[in-house]
Amino acid sequence: MESAGRFRAFVATWLRRTFMLCALCMLTAPAYAAGTAVGTLIENTASVDFTQTGAQQTTTSNTVSFLVAERIDIVVTLLSGQVVVSPGDVDRALLFTVTNTGNGAETVELTMNSIVAGDDFDPVPALPDAIFFDTDNSGDFNIGDVAYTSGVNDPTLSPDESVDVLLVNDIPGTTANGHLGRSELLATATTGSGSPGTVFAGQGDGGVDAVVGTTAAAATAFGEYLVDDVAINVVKSQAVSDPSGGTAPVVGATITYAITVEVVSTGTATAATIGDLIPTWSSFVADSITLNGAVITDATDGDAGEFDLTGAPTVVVRLGDLTQADGPQSIVFRVTID
Amino acid sequence: MKLMTGIALLLMAFTAAAQGHLEVLTTVHKEVIFENATGEEETRLVQAERVVPGEKVIYTITFTNISDESADDVVITNPIAEDLVYVDGSASGADMDIQFSTDAGTTFAAAADLTVTENGETRAATVEDFTHVRWVMRNDLAAGAQGTARFAAILE
Repeated sequence: MESAGRFRAFVATWLRRTFMLCALCMLTAPAYAAGTAVGTLIENTASVDFTQTGAQQTTTSNTVSFLVAERIDIVVTLLSGQVVVSPGDVDRALLFTVTNTGNGAETVELTMNSIVAGDDFDPVPALPDAIFFDTDNSGDFNIGDVAYTSGVNDPTLSPDESVDVLLVNDIPGTTANGHLGRSELLATATTGSGSPGTVFAGQGDGGVDAVVGTTAAAATAFGEYLVDDVAINVVKSQAVSDPSGGTAPVVGATITYAITVEVVSTGTATAATIGDLIPTWSSFVADSITLNGAVITDATDGDAGEFDLTGAPTVVVRLGDLTQADGPQSIVFRVTID
Repeated sequence: MKLMTGIALLLMAFTAAAQGHLEVLTTVHKEVIFENATGEEETRLVQAERVVPGEKVIYTITFTNISDESADDVVITNPIAEDLVYVDGSASGADMDIQFSTDAGTTFAAAADLTVTENGETRAATVEDFTHVRWVMRNDLAAGAQGTARFAAILE
């Protein structure tokens, strides 16, 4: 059940995100060279040519050599753009790639943090697992993506090898449009991390020394969720009914205005309110406002609307928090032509 | 390990002496920055044992005329290992002209005069192209005299 729910949550934004990810494909080419392989023997022998007592001679030096030790370097890169979400969304994924830019095989531990400074809200890591491998290479979270468990399936990466990782978060229902929420992925080499130059004697591939590189053998990157504006369709129509039973817009004729409001995207239109000025050449028909067939009184009295005379005469109807699931909301009121 | 290296060095020295009348020794070091007693950073050269990609190593070639006669036309040649990239301007040697090869040691020229032809286009050679470095002594090496040639390279 839960898996099916997760899948549905993604279908709505599938097209948009697929496009975005393809745009990013070009940027994901390996940008790092791991360098000379661990354990390589680098030898050096000099030679000297000279002439002595008329004879050309050559002498070679001793051979000096050193072993290439392991440099531990890890890089985390965010692949997702800003992920557009709606309040209350579940299982929304950010895509990262973790790359071993060192020159030896390295096992990496992954952790995440969704309480990151500099944003407006804290995404909530999904339960029971929030870190997944992008097993199906779709770039998004799907059934079949394998959950990561620290110490159980820590990825081991060859030099220059990378693995795509998804951070899966739920979006709190209380978030407002335009708000940003950050979630970060931390990858740490299990051999050890710390200040560049730190030596882990004998812990490199094949027993050579491992040395922490410039990345400190630990890396982090954060992605962002953006709570997007909700798309709302508002359609207004009118019907004229004249005193002689026709449809001529003459003095004394009644115009019935019908306004249909509908959320046509994911997300919630928080405290959606419709205000409609009545035409200056018309008079409002008392107690003519209805919302989905139910009468709304003209007074400002705590119901869902009123005929507001504090400024220009306006019909006001409050629709509350509106989502696509609520369907079209129908507002009707009448005026007469002066 | 150290003992073996020592024996190897002795053997090489012996061989060198027997081969000609110049003794040639090569060492490889790297720079280590450490904090001294007064808290200042000091750079010290230590024998290169573990080197990681991106680190710089310094080769020093010391040659001594162990014979009673001077040596003429002394030229020291050192290949640059495939996984090393020569550090621009690092080669030094008193009273020596420094030249490089981009063709595995067949021809040599000053760095500024070297070109490389790739896909029919000729361009100036870069440090990545250098395969060998050599030092050409301007003067004879007198009996008993010693010279030193140096260069640095970065491990890729």
